[in-house]
Amino acid sequence: MADIRADPLELRTAMEFPYKHSTGQTIGRFLAGLKEQGRIWGQRIAGQGVVVPPLGYSETDSSEGGDWVLVENTGTVTAVAKVHQPIERLHPEAKPFAFVLVKLDGADTALAHLVRDDADKVTVGSRVTAEFLPEGERTGSLRDIATFRLAD
Amino acid sequence: MSALRNVALVGFAQGPIVARDRHRMSTEMLYPVVREALAQVGATRDDIAYQVSASTDYMDGRPFGFVAALDVMGSWPPRQDLHLEMDGSFAAYYAWLKIQAGEADSAIVCGHGKTSEGEPERILNLALDPYYQAPIGLGPTATSALQASAYMARTGATDADLAAVAARSRAAGAKNPDTQVREAAAATALQRTDWAVEPLRTGYLPPIGESATCLVIAAEGKAEKLCERPVWIQGVDHRSEMQSLGARDLSRSAGAKLAGEKALAMADVGAAKDVDLVELMATTPVEELILCEALGLDATAKKPVVNPSGGPLCGHPIMSTGLVRLGEVFRQLTGTAGERGVAGARRALAHASMGHCLQQNIVWVLGAQRRWS
Amino acid sequence: MTEPPKEPVKYVDANVYLPYHYVAGDFRAIYLNGLREGKILGSKDSKTGKIFVPPILNSPESFAPCEEIVQLDDRGTVTTFCVVNIPVIGRDLEIPYVAASVALDGAAISIFALIQKCKADEVRMGMRVEAVWKPAAERTGDHTDIQYFRPTGEPDAPRESYINRL
Repeated sequence: MADIRADPLELRTAMEFPYKHSTGQTIGRFLAGLKEQGRIWGQRIAGQGVVVPPLGYSETDSSEGGDWVLVENTGTVTAVAKVHQPIERLHPEAKPFAFVLVKLDGADTALAHLVRDDADKVTVGSRVTAEFLPEGERTGSLRDIATFRLAD
Repeated sequence: MSALRNVALVGFAQGPIVARDRHRMSTEMLYPVVREALAQVGATRDDIAYQVSASTDYMDGRPFGFVAALDVMGSWPPRQDLHLEMDGSFAAYYAWLKIQAGEADSAIVCGHGKTSEGEPERILNLALDPYYQAPIGLGPTATSALQASAYMARTGATDADLAAVAARSRAAGAKNPDTQVREAAAATALQRTDWAVEPLRTGYLPPIGESATCLVIAAEGKAEKLCERPVWIQGVDHRSEMQSLGARDLSRSAGAKLAGEKALAMADVGAAKDVDLVELMATTPVEELILCEALGLDATAKKPVVNPSGGPLCGHPIMSTGLVRLGEVFRQLTGTAGERGVAGARRALAHASMGHCLQQNIVWVLGAQRRWS
Repeated sequence: MTEPPKEPVKYVDANVYLPYHYVAGDFRAIYLNGLREGKILGSKDSKTGKIFVPPILNSPESFAPCEEIVQLDDRGTVTTFCVVNIPVIGRDLEIPYVAASVALDGAAISIFALIQKCKADEVRMGMRVEAVWKPAAERTGDHTDIQYFRPTGEPDAPRESYINRL
């Protein structure tokens, strides 16, 4: 084929999508628990135990979710990813921080969240505690949990 | 099982994997590749019954962007067509199903993705659920790092172990003119690279590239006419796992294990280690370790050779990376793999995955022999 | 506490931000650069000789490469059109206005164009029109370098000359 060549023409732009996702009963009530009670709820799921955060159904066999179970705000880190160079407008923190999976006491699955301070010290097995935003600042989002903090 | 048709890979073409092609759009990168693949099998587009393409519109930054690929796949008169927002290896699976259903005797399978136009780290954040996982800002490197830490905690694997895997990939990739990074790198050097997201270093991550790929597959009866040495599909299986990362054991791949068992059983092959070579879509050293564990492989053993192409750690054209694994097996089993060729290779396994932390896995068993008589 | 609040949080906000760095591709670059120079460029199907505008790498119809760049006349024939009575975001046009397909002389397919300098109800299939360009100094290599098409006053083109170029 012939060799068609032109000076490259490029365009930088950005798209923004202000989505509002409907939550439904289970996710919506879980988030209400964060916002209004400052507590973390799980749901008993056949074959999975207490699932946190809950979906209202089993991801393994699609059976309906069972009873609500209050779990502790404390838990154990099962996985940790330390971000040394945060990406603006993707990551929730401008300074180095860690993503963690936390198995809260009383839960059988792990919650994905953050450790903002002392991120360099967190390891698999670390004990952490959920720290909530002050009551008036909570909006009904997973980020109502401001951070997990390493236990002393 | 005896009701299945013998279907073979008969042609494969791949554009160069580059960080950014400033002269061509995604579809323009695909067109010469489709033509090359058709030329390889001596066919016109009219000779091929079906087409499947694999791309993601978010990557191209245009809704329904995939329809633009129809023009470069030769879609007139109107063709039977399917598009998948999955890697091309999964698209090949749907082409295989179409042929099994008796609705087509041949297909082209295309993968394309202009990864340099968008930002995969942000785009793939959106592949997580919008309530629990996406809002905290997880991207593919971060979830891979979570997986790595879980694996290292369970097995005791160290940073040096990860470096060794990456170095082995890089050494293999140095012999592969079709991949993106073709320079060997010592484990000790890779271990000195910066953290990407700890415990993954930049030296352990694949170069994100863009390319286009086209695989031609055909059923017995037609395959032999299109290709002197068809590479027969002896077994294939595809499994998906749940989306909640915290509900899975990230340190293992239940999906790859099951897909491997089912594909090997279909192929009547006892174990993955009985093949001559394996191409894994492992996008981190830890993914390779997890996949090897799931499939019962030892990547340091002489046989089967794992990722003689260098694997994704030497070239990761998103949406084509898995299809390249099938292409590599095609080259290996047709004796066209050049310096990276595994001498006397007769049977191979090709894997692909999609989603965060190996959420979906497909395993193919391919060989020089027909599976069903 | 035995259960979370009865009233669920109904929505979560996700403000998705995706930067892009697009590549136009050489064919589009050639086309847009042509507009800046006051030229409308197309490309020729190496198999059928059909000319596509804007230029494209290959013919979707014949699958053959179309790599010979050719200049087209900046006049042509209205094929289909519509009279727009609703405002369009991002365009400051007096309503009603006519959006039309114009088959440029020599081209196998038509391009979208704005028709001005006549009443909306005068526009018809077969009407001959020509491009009105921005002054050379104001052209930027953009679709708006052609401000609009206007009637040439020539007799209408016969139906068979454009009916396959809608």
